[in-house]
This record gives sequence, structure tokens and C-alpha cells, in this order.
Amino acid sequence: MAEAEESPGDPGTASPRPLMRDLKAVGKKFMHVLYPRRSNTLLRDWDLWGPLILCVTLALMLQRGSADSEKDGGPQFAEVFVVVWFGAVTITVNSKLLGGNISFFQSLCVLGYCILPLTVAMLICRLVLLAEPGPINFMVRLFVVTVMFAWSVVASTAFLADSQPPNRKALAIYPVFLFYFVISWMILTFTP
Amino acid sequence: MKQALVDDTEDVSLDFGNEEELAFRKAKIRHPLATFFHLFFRVSAIVTYMCCDWFSRSFVGCFVTVLLLLSLDFWSVKNVTGRLMVGLRWWNQIDEDGKSHWVFEARKVSPNAIVATEAEARIFWLGLIICPVIWIVFFFSTLFSLKLKWLALVIAGISLQAANLYGYILCKMGGESDLSKVTASFLSQTVFQTVCPGDFQKPGLEEIHQH
Repeated sequence: MAEAEESPGDPGTASPRPLMRDLKAVGKKFMHVLYPRRSNTLLRDWDLWGPLILCVTLALMLQRGSADSEKDGGPQFAEVFVVVWFGAVTITVNSKLLGGNISFFQSLCVLGYCILPLTVAMLICRLVLLAEPGPINFMVRLFVVTVMFAWSVVASTAFLADSQPPNRKALAIYPVFLFYFVISWMILTFTP
Repeated sequence: MKQALVDDTEDVSLDFGNEEELAFRKAKIRHPLATFFHLFFRVSAIVTYMCCDWFSRSFVGCFVTVLLLLSLDFWSVKNVTGRLMVGLRWWNQIDEDGKSHWVFEARKVSPNAIVATEAEARIFWLGLIICPVIWIVFFFSTLFSLKLKWLALVIAGISLQAANLYGYILCKMGGESDLSKVTASFLSQTVFQTVCPGDFQKPGLEEIHQH
């Protein structure tokens, strides 16, 4: 389920699938998100490992460290997970109900991989927050998050728009916009 | 003497060449590493989930560890142990025109193929069935004890394990889409094996006797 595969021929061989091939496929998809082109790679060879890695990374970075073990960032961690996966599932269901011809897992794959720019934004924000707080600090973070948010939306639209019927494109795209907006908001309002 | 050796050459060379294969075919478990890892990741995930309160107070550490173990288990069962232990595999394929369809394959048993052993198959299916059941028990216990922050992890666990279980059951059923027929044939086979265990020899050994 977590990845698509091209069968290497005869089922009689049934040899184990190599790990490096999967890792390379994930890396290739990250590259495709960073430099969005009209290509089918994210759609044809989908896998959900990338989204899982990105989700865990984002959730780890969005934790509020606390000395009190009772509030060890647990709820925020699970929150990020729920927002990302539930949000992605909702968008997928929405696009399918609007008559899109993309499969469930393909859509999850694209939405998950396009979180990469926002994860990079989170990383940068955390670094910026190490400096002294103030309006300049906030402006820098705002700028970074806005740029990465736009990048995410553009990347996912490039992959998803083709699968929607022409008169419904906006209806299918605006939840994507909302989804990345919520994540950007979580990143921007983060204080350690 | 030489003549006898020449006459027996066929059998002798066959035995020498196939000695390793013979040992391989006679072994109860042909892929010990795969069998170990098939069970290791699943059981570790369950044990870690149950015992994390004792080892560390960190929710996040436990969450990430269990998730990592579940992911490793998913990948290894889907891509490695299923193929080696029972000769089944399943995947999703996207056509040129963008249509996605799921493919489920079972290895055809030909006379020369090395088939799976009973012990491996039993371990495989037991491991595949029992662990999702345990995660479902965790789901209800988490729900009713209201420790809702763990719910996300339990749901992830159930999804990953149930996906493999479902995929392999569909592989096993092969062309049979009627579940009642499959269940009936499986039950009758189990009954026969219990009643007359001697009638069911390992196919590998039979072939060698025929040579």
C-alpha cells in the first residue's frame, strides 16, 4: 500500500524488493517537489514514505519543549499528525467527490510531498528564533513562511490540477490552499 | 569398478550438486533471517507500546519509536518476508492513462520450484493475523481509558498492519472472490491434515525420491 511498484516480470521469481530502490524513489520525489515541473513522477510511482518522514519531522520541530514531564509536547505532536493526515484525507475525498480522476493514494502522496517547502520553512524559523526576538525577527519569519507557503501551493497545484474537471478546478484547489495555510499558521505562531 | 562408477555417474553427480539444496529442502525453516524479522518488528512495536511508560516518560520518543518499528515492519512484510516465506506479493500499479489498479500474485508451484515450508507459512500467517487483533484491543483500551493522545498511534498501527493482512489475504484467495468457498476449502484442508498427517509429505522430498 505504501508504494506503487512496477512488476519485474515472472511471479515465479518473487525476489525481495531492494531497499535502495525505494530510498532513491523517495529522494527523487523530494527533488521533483523542490523544482516543480510538468512531470508524472509523483503521480505514477507514488509512495507514502516521504509524507510520513516529513510529517514526523514537522511534528518534532513543532514541539514545545517543557521541563514539566506532564506537558512534554505530547498533544502538539499528535495534533500535527492529525492535522496533516486528516487534512490530506479530507482534501482527497473532496476532490474525488468533485469528479477528479486521481486515485486516493496518489493524491495523499502529492499533498504529503508538497509539505517539504513548509518543513524547510520550519527549520529556518527555528534557526531564526535562536536570535533575539523582535519585529525584525517576526518579519523575517513571515517572509520565509509566505514564500514557502506559495511554493507548496504552486507545487501541489501543478500536480493535482490536471486531474480535475476544468470547471471545478478552483473548488478542488481551495482546500489545498486552506490546508497549507493552516500548517503555515502553525509554523508562524510557533514559539519555543 | 570404473564401469559401475560411470553407470552411477548420473546419481552421484546429482547428489553432490544438490547436497546443499537437499539440506535446504529438508530444513523446517528455509529463511531464518526473514522469519525472525517478520516477527521481530511487529512484536517489538507492541512491546514498546505497552512498556513505554516504564522506560521513558517521553510521549514523543515512544511515539516515534513505535511508528518507526511499524513502518519497518510494514516495508519488510510487504516487500521481503511475504515473497520469501509464502511466495505471495501485492502492489499498486498506475497505467499510462492514469488508472490505478491493485495486483495480487501468488507464486505458481512448479515441480522445480522450492516451495514454502509448513512451519514458515504457519509462522507467517499467525504473525500476520494476531498482531492487528492486538492493536484493535489497544484501540478499545485507549478509547475507553480516554488516553486520546495515543489514539493517533494506535490507528496508525491498525492501518499499517491491517493493510498487509488484507493484501496477503487477497493474494492467497487469488482468483477466488467468494470468501465462503475459500473458507470452506481451507477448513476442510486443515481437518484432513489433522486426521491423516502422514498423507501430506513435503513436495520437495517427494521430487528427490522420484529422481
